[in-house]
Amino acid sequence: MKSLTALLFVLLLPQALRAGAGSPTREKTPAAISNDSLVRVNSTSQAFDFFRPWTKKAPSMRRGLGVVMPDTLVLVTAEIVANHTYVELEKSSSAEKSAAEVVVVDYDSNLALLRPVNPDFLKNAKPLPLDSGARVGDKAVILQLENNGLIAETPATITTITVAGYPLDYLSLLTYRLSSPLQSREGSFTVPAVRDGKLLGLLMRYDGRSQTADLIPAPVIAHFLADAQEEKYSGFPRAGIAFASTRDPQFRRYLGLTEDGGVYLTEVRPGSPAEKAGLRKGDIILAVAGKPVDQDGNYDNAEFGKISFSHLTNTLAKVGDTIEFTIQRDGKRQALSVVLAPLDKKNVVSEPSIFGSQPHYFILGGLVFQELSRPYLQEWGSGWMKEAPQRLVYLDAFQNELPTDRGKIVFLSQVLPSPNTLGYENLDHLVVNKLNGVEIKSLEDLARAAAAPKDGFHRIEFEQDPGVIALDAAEVEAGKSQLMQDYGIPALENLGEK
Amino acid sequence: MFRLFACTLCAVFLAPSSPAAKVASSLVRIQETSQEPNYKAPWNGGEVNGGVGAGFIISGHRIMTNAHVVSNARFLTVSKEGDPKPYPARVLHVAHDCDLALLTVDNADFFKGTMSLDFGGIPAIESTVSVYGYPIGGDRLSVTRGVVSRIDFQPYSHSGVDSHLTIQIDAAINPGNSGGPVLQDGKVIGVAFQGYSGDVAQNVGYMIPTPVIRRFLQDVEDGHYDRYVDLTLSYHPLHNPAMRQSLGLSDGDPGVVVGSVFGGGVSEGVLSPGDVLLKIDGLPIASDGTVSIDGDAVEMAEVVERKFKGDTVNFEILRDRKPLHVTINLTHAWPFTLQANAYNEKPRFVVFGGLVFQPVDANFISEHNPDDLRLRYFFDQFITQSIYRERAEIVVLSSILADPVNAYAAEFRYDIVNKINGQKIDRLDDVATAFKKEADSYVIEMLGQGRPIVLERKEVEEARARILSRYRVLKEENLQK
Repeated sequence: MKSLTALLFVLLLPQALRAGAGSPTREKTPAAISNDSLVRVNSTSQAFDFFRPWTKKAPSMRRGLGVVMPDTLVLVTAEIVANHTYVELEKSSSAEKSAAEVVVVDYDSNLALLRPVNPDFLKNAKPLPLDSGARVGDKAVILQLENNGLIAETPATITTITVAGYPLDYLSLLTYRLSSPLQSREGSFTVPAVRDGKLLGLLMRYDGRSQTADLIPAPVIAHFLADAQEEKYSGFPRAGIAFASTRDPQFRRYLGLTEDGGVYLTEVRPGSPAEKAGLRKGDIILAVAGKPVDQDGNYDNAEFGKISFSHLTNTLAKVGDTIEFTIQRDGKRQALSVVLAPLDKKNVVSEPSIFGSQPHYFILGGLVFQELSRPYLQEWGSGWMKEAPQRLVYLDAFQNELPTDRGKIVFLSQVLPSPNTLGYENLDHLVVNKLNGVEIKSLEDLARAAAAPKDGFHRIEFEQDPGVIALDAAEVEAGKSQLMQDYGIPALENLGEK
Repeated sequence: MFRLFACTLCAVFLAPSSPAAKVASSLVRIQETSQEPNYKAPWNGGEVNGGVGAGFIISGHRIMTNAHVVSNARFLTVSKEGDPKPYPARVLHVAHDCDLALLTVDNADFFKGTMSLDFGGIPAIESTVSVYGYPIGGDRLSVTRGVVSRIDFQPYSHSGVDSHLTIQIDAAINPGNSGGPVLQDGKVIGVAFQGYSGDVAQNVGYMIPTPVIRRFLQDVEDGHYDRYVDLTLSYHPLHNPAMRQSLGLSDGDPGVVVGSVFGGGVSEGVLSPGDVLLKIDGLPIASDGTVSIDGDAVEMAEVVERKFKGDTVNFEILRDRKPLHVTINLTHAWPFTLQANAYNEKPRFVVFGGLVFQPVDANFISEHNPDDLRLRYFFDQFITQSIYRERAEIVVLSSILADPVNAYAAEFRYDIVNKINGQKIDRLDDVATAFKKEADSYVIEMLGQGRPIVLERKEVEEARARILSRYRVLKEENLQK
């Protein structure tokens, strides 16, 4: 063992010498991270089955390497605790364990904070400070948990700093892209990257072919931690817009753009902060928070250079902040103040993610009704965009184009054959327009309408063929317990908490 | 006839007393040279292919075969069994919706010594039939025997959207059998037309039965083939007791309920969703949508199938629980057929500023195979989601002939064109019209939430000759099928 240490020393020496002689950014030895700053996280998760919304799927185990933060908190990705049933922390040195509770989880930024149930568990741990001032070209080390409990270190280099989509695919935040020859290991649900003994970020995704690792970077973590300190976690804000580049000279002339820069607003989401501020499709955004915006939507950031202006609204700003948008409309320059807010996920047509809560459903005489959500469609697997029912995929994908008062999409997801549903066995994935004459914009609407059958019948009107079907209201009522017994359904509805 | 001696196997088939000998003088081998249209460079002709099919001589110096044997034909020859000479042939009538065609040969010598075959009725289930043809491309007549397994409505794969009465037999139907006669007791009882590849089902072959053939022959008597006129509505069985009660029907009553009535079809304005169809031309409709014809339960559609353009269909219906009599005039075929495979059509397109605009149909989709979610949806759900009510055609920016004039248009490929200079685009012709209108610039708006494409007339004019020569665009538009 001794000889090995000696050998390593010799091998490292020339590198250290070279470093001393030349560039200061060239390398930093990663050994600066002590085990006292890292904790193993074991999380048991169990997701609901959206095809049988009254049941959960089999539990599965996820492992990762949490990072100790001040106040005996542990930072992990939101992914590791999604749909968790039990989370425990384990010291990598002593294998001592403690159960943990999830203090804050934010799926937009893919971050969560855990606290050990045993208050003394992290008594001697050293919180890892957050990195600042990272630049393209900086070296870092990515830390992974080995099966034997050791920590594997892989070198990495920051190649790009940009604003990119996060895993849930509807919020773009600052991202560090690193080049690194990472190996695939179990327990990769939280993988920290460090630079100079400080936390550079947590791994968000890794592409083995191009060997690129995307990090949730320290500035995003800093935003999350600051919010987590507050009484109520408010999350990451957004303006609620989409824009297109104005590079095309013919398009610029059409817009009457004489100066450089500016982007074309293609979409202002209904109910968004941008809409409330009076922004409209077709406006040209010339500057945001006083920073001129170029024709691709970038501004000059003192640290990172050219970067998308959404960095100003989504990462740097906080919920409730006011950001000034300088726009051109009808050839005139004007300024509009946008008060930033998070997305109201409950009020979107099709929820992009649902974690930890039971999917809502309503069963009427064997007809199962659900609200359209992305997780429902994702039950078809990775090819869901092609495999899932096309009408539902379309409504999810283009929900922003639907009338603003569309409400939720309630649909017949499946039929549990029973005497009531004779002849209806093959119906599925039909969008409900009305029940008993009442327009349906949520499962609550459906439940209310189901309480008022007409002339002894429930009359269900679908958007598609067969158009209308009927159920005998008395028979539906009488068959309830038999239906629950036959199909092992504990409750015929879940409408969530009121 | 000297070939008889050369091949003992053939001699068995063609012994003078056997039925095959008789058929041999009616059977023809059809050699087709076809050219597929090119939907990616629509100004060019496409690939040239060859194929072999069978046909048989019927009255009036006519040869009957499948439509798919002669589709997209550029040159056709036919030869008789035992006569090596190929004779050029031409198509008299082709019906893509029921996969039948009639040919003739102008050289009268061809028909010397031939015999025309007559048609029979519908064979009984379990009875034996013989299939004649040139399976897998052979030069010599082949005969297989099979048993009638099933008589049923089946989709016809040639158009991909039509279903008609079909007879299933347990003899394999292979390429080259297509268009050949199926005989029983010396009469044609069907035309072999489709089968399955061996990994889907074995010993399954399909033939077009005589009701479909006779309808085709009767339709072309006026020298022109009109398509089938469909009711263009959907109906659903009424098995559910509560559903029956809510509509005012008792358990024993017949009837099916109308789901959708398609716009532009013959039933629009006559029938409505929710109507209960009780009788069609006096025949009671069972709750599964069948009627009894000659003692057999067949789809209600069969009643309409046997009619022609200009005929009428009478329904007894229940609307809001009240009995009504309605008559549907079969005035015209359903106009929105873009989901059907099309043949003998030239691709339509408009090229402007290096942007190629095309209407989307089954041929376009099969060649471009676009992944675009919105485009797929518009094509697949064109009828079911009533998209045809908003636009008669789906016109897309199908490709971009890269040039400085369209340097920023690449992201718009396969987007659906909504408006040009504020004018709604309902069909391809509207695109051509919009670009012919004098304007300084053309603002092309796509469906969805992107930015518009702007093309300046001056830039387009400048680029025009350059693009046409660089990409060898032989024609800037074709608006005719």
